[in-house]
Amino acid sequence: MVVVGIVVAIVLIVLFWFVGTYNSLVSKKKRVENAWSQIDVQLKRRHDLIPNLVNAVKGYMKYERETLEAVINARAKAISGGSIDDRIKAEGELSGALSRLLAVFERYPELKSNEQVKQLMEELTSTENRITYARQFYNDTVMKYNTSIEMFPTNLVAKTFNFKPFVFFEAAAAEKETPKVDLTF
Amino acid sequence: MDYLVQQKKNLRKTYLLVFLFLFLMATLGLVIDALFGVFPFGTILLIFIALIQILAGVSSGPALVLRSVNARKINEKSFEEKQLKNIVEELTIAAGLEKAPEVYVMEDENINAFATGFKAKKSAVCVTSGLLKHLNREETEGVIAHEISHIKNKDTLLMTTISAILGTMVLVQLFAWRSLRFLLWSNRGRRSSKKKDSGLGYIIVALLILALVATLFSLIGRISIFAVSRTREYLADAKAVELTRNPKGLSGALRKIAKMQKSKGKVKGATIATAHLFISDPLKRSVNNKEGFFANLFGTHPPIHRRIALLENVPEEIVLKELQEG
Repeated sequence: MVVVGIVVAIVLIVLFWFVGTYNSLVSKKKRVENAWSQIDVQLKRRHDLIPNLVNAVKGYMKYERETLEAVINARAKAISGGSIDDRIKAEGELSGALSRLLAVFERYPELKSNEQVKQLMEELTSTENRITYARQFYNDTVMKYNTSIEMFPTNLVAKTFNFKPFVFFEAAAAEKETPKVDLTF
Repeated sequence: MDYLVQQKKNLRKTYLLVFLFLFLMATLGLVIDALFGVFPFGTILLIFIALIQILAGVSSGPALVLRSVNARKINEKSFEEKQLKNIVEELTIAAGLEKAPEVYVMEDENINAFATGFKAKKSAVCVTSGLLKHLNREETEGVIAHEISHIKNKDTLLMTTISAILGTMVLVQLFAWRSLRFLLWSNRGRRSSKKKDSGLGYIIVALLILALVATLFSLIGRISIFAVSRTREYLADAKAVELTRNPKGLSGALRKIAKMQKSKGKVKGATIATAHLFISDPLKRSVNNKEGFFANLFGTHPPIHRRIALLENVPEEIVLKELQEG
């Protein structure tokens, strides 16, 4: 009787552990997916902002046609869709073009004193920060999830139910350019 | 600065304090039950009172705090205030909170800010107009990251829960002392029946012990709430850096706060009950500039030069010297 009782208890404990671990993995995975959708929301915000911004500044920045056109073209490419890899690349180019625009903006005092442009630039700065933070949060969440599915004994549950690791969202090369570097052109 | 190590250390301390509180409450309940032989009614009553206090706090706490400092909602037409709202929303994303806290401004020349609220979804961040005036975007980001960290860590929830428990202890203490005084007073000049006397004497001794124990516990509780607050400030600083990945913003803001500390008065409307919510002590009590056993017990905030030193990863003597010179 005692032996049967112990065996039943052990089986129950293992079962409960299995269910608990599975559930926590599912919620971690959900968190990663949510973090990804947050990046999407912020990218959309950036796409919506650009036409207003370009209209507001183009009168002032006659000599910066190239910079503005780069932004417009990069935006068009980014919203045209395609595979995830293509999109990440296009968004990276857009980030680079926008950071150059922000740098150029510093050189136009009359632009800075224009209230509407100032507000749009603040929105652009904010949007760029949001995208950076959303990506940072996504990567943190992915790291936690990936670590937990690789750790023993959670990896047993992860393997049984086929939990796959997520890929980190690395910043594209163009995005890593800082505005300071761009000030020299 | 390795903030992960810092965080683990701070978290452990905090858990220890919370555990100490729970242990004290359980002991107090048992003391009451043992003294009056009414187990488990004393414990149940204590828990009941505590629950009522927590519920009352949850329903009106944040609104009361905001009203006490005369805070108003931000005006999105003002560039600075719109920028503040943007920063709050950015860091909400960084912290992975579901909903951005409401943003409030209080008219005060000091640079200060606080966060309040029980649930992350229903919380608020409030800054002084002096902060909007004197801090640049990077520094404001540091301060807001600190406040969002308080919300993310559920610091405000914890502080209020501890306050409720502390309140219960103060209540028991008051009850015991008052009934003791009443019994002693009404017993004066009545020395006829010896039998009655011995029964009454027993009750008086019991009440005296209860009163002393409750007083001791509420004193320990009061000290602990400040110690929790002090460690949590370091913790929120560390978390803020994790969010912004930029210690310069927050340390720059703290430097400006330190420089203005002497020239301006207390923050309007701040009291000892709300002081622990602010990023730097709004009451400017000198104990918060000190370290050591006594200061650790009674201070609500860590010394500001120490916080700067931790953020910039330089010895605190150097920071202290720079602040005194500048």
